[in-house]
Amino acid sequence: MNRLKKKKQNAGVEVNGNGSVTREPDCGRKQKLAEIHQALINDPVDIETLRRAAGSKGGLLTDELRRKVWPKLLNINVYDLPHKPGRDSLMSGGMRASERAVLQEQMIDIILEVLKYTPQLHYYQGYHDVAVTLLLVVGERMTIAMLDTLSNHHLRDFMDPTMDSTKHILNYLIAEVGTIFALSWLITWYGHVLSDFKHTMRLYDFFLASHPLMPIYLAATIVLHREKEVKKTECDMAMVHHLLSRIPQDLPYELLIGQAQDLFDQYPPSLLAKRAALQPRKSLSISTFQAFQLATLHQRPDSILKRLTKAQGSSTSRQASRYSGLEAALPQERGQLWGKGNRMVKMAVWGLSATLGAAVFAVAQTAMDWGPEALLQLF
Amino acid sequence: MAKQYDVLFRLLLLGDSGVGKTCLLCRFTDNEFHPSHISTIGVDFKMKTLKIDGIKVRIQIWDTAGQERYQTITKQYYRRAQGIFLVYDITSERSFQHIMKWASDVDEYAPEKIRKILVGNKSDEVDKRQVATEQGIKLANAYGMDFFETSAFTNHNITETFTRLAEQVLAANKKDLDLLRMSGNEEINLAALEEEEGLYERAASDESKGCWC
Repeated sequence: MNRLKKKKQNAGVEVNGNGSVTREPDCGRKQKLAEIHQALINDPVDIETLRRAAGSKGGLLTDELRRKVWPKLLNINVYDLPHKPGRDSLMSGGMRASERAVLQEQMIDIILEVLKYTPQLHYYQGYHDVAVTLLLVVGERMTIAMLDTLSNHHLRDFMDPTMDSTKHILNYLIAEVGTIFALSWLITWYGHVLSDFKHTMRLYDFFLASHPLMPIYLAATIVLHREKEVKKTECDMAMVHHLLSRIPQDLPYELLIGQAQDLFDQYPPSLLAKRAALQPRKSLSISTFQAFQLATLHQRPDSILKRLTKAQGSSTSRQASRYSGLEAALPQERGQLWGKGNRMVKMAVWGLSATLGAAVFAVAQTAMDWGPEALLQLF
Repeated sequence: MAKQYDVLFRLLLLGDSGVGKTCLLCRFTDNEFHPSHISTIGVDFKMKTLKIDGIKVRIQIWDTAGQERYQTITKQYYRRAQGIFLVYDITSERSFQHIMKWASDVDEYAPEKIRKILVGNKSDEVDKRQVATEQGIKLANAYGMDFFETSAFTNHNITETFTRLAEQVLAANKKDLDLLRMSGNEEINLAALEEEEGLYERAASDESKGCWC
């Protein structure tokens, strides 16, 4: 792997053919907030500014902004969300004893809902790490919509019946030590390995605004960043794997994100594929990306969307063919749970992810058609 | 500097998702138990050094993802192992039935002289038991394996299980080891030596550069 070269950055807004974002020098936080707000009310929504904000220092800055911008990055109409699946009383009434139980049920509902609508999608261990991250930021209904889009685009290759496509993508990472250490990074967007939720959210800002292969570029910069450590370790492939698969929790994420972006610009996926002598292979994530990026350019701001969605009714809305019965759900309408400090909630969810992974796996495979009551008995 | 170990073995934990492979390993190497663990993605390992018959045996225990789709990755690790734990969950009949499938995969992909041991985990969950101890014993006998019921939660039979497999691997390789000890090698990486000597047939795979991560 070639060394990174420090690249001069353009100050202007620039989106290249691969949909990557050129960063601009860090302007003040206040100014950035103002820019993001302005981009959101622009008609059409100024998606390029939003992408640039998501990639540049600090990312989208606050949870409140993430709730507004993340859906835009995925071309989702906030007034046209799927209903809560199955049981809709989860958040109300304190019938469910613990927060854990609530989260567990929500996660299972969300994942099953997405898988149900697209039978070609297969659950993988790690998918719930993505679901949790979204759930903690945007709430249940928006999570279904976002996860649905991600599953059909960015994460699509990981959801094949086999891991062949995933293994192929890992081959973009030219590492002499094998690439399995980066598997969980790739398929969970690092959600599986980072313990501080703040970092996970920052990376999700970046990845939601980037090419599906960006997690691979970040993996490369992390390996380069740790070059000295790697060289100091025993000359044994197992030990190198061991070292690399443990991500230090204090990585300089802003720096690495910038380097990953530079690396992407210098060595776009097409070039990398040639260098790595990769066999041509149809990647749904990559082949549908350009059209997906283009589609995001024509979004109306929320104020207009609200009016249009109500006026047009469900017949013309994006989700209508898949989800019946629409009603507006403002992002603020999140469960009271999320107000209690994401970190704590994330900790709680982490604890249950294994059980959940196994449970969802079993459920998704064998009990897709069962009623919610039957599902509940399983857990 | 005193040598850290005399011989290095690679052991592999196999079994369905959620049977407690990672928990067994954490209990054995770190004496920790996390009631609800993070699922394993891909593979990883932990190490511990044991003293068996005066020999310092370092064991590298590879933990694998149980979900079926990960098996194309984990199978690549079978042939480098000297010992395998086949783990099921005594509260899951399904995980017990799958042991046969895991065992046949091992027959197909692992070296012939690999040592195996059957483990029924979560023995503390008496009320939820679905697999009787006798069933475990019977299956282990059929395969000619030793059998332990364990609980990572209560630390029941953990050290015993890991030590037993290490002893068996040591015994299985005793002849080679004695030869090497006479020749005065300081540290013996059994796996590496076997590769050099060509004792194990190399699978024709993409790992020709000796990279096996």
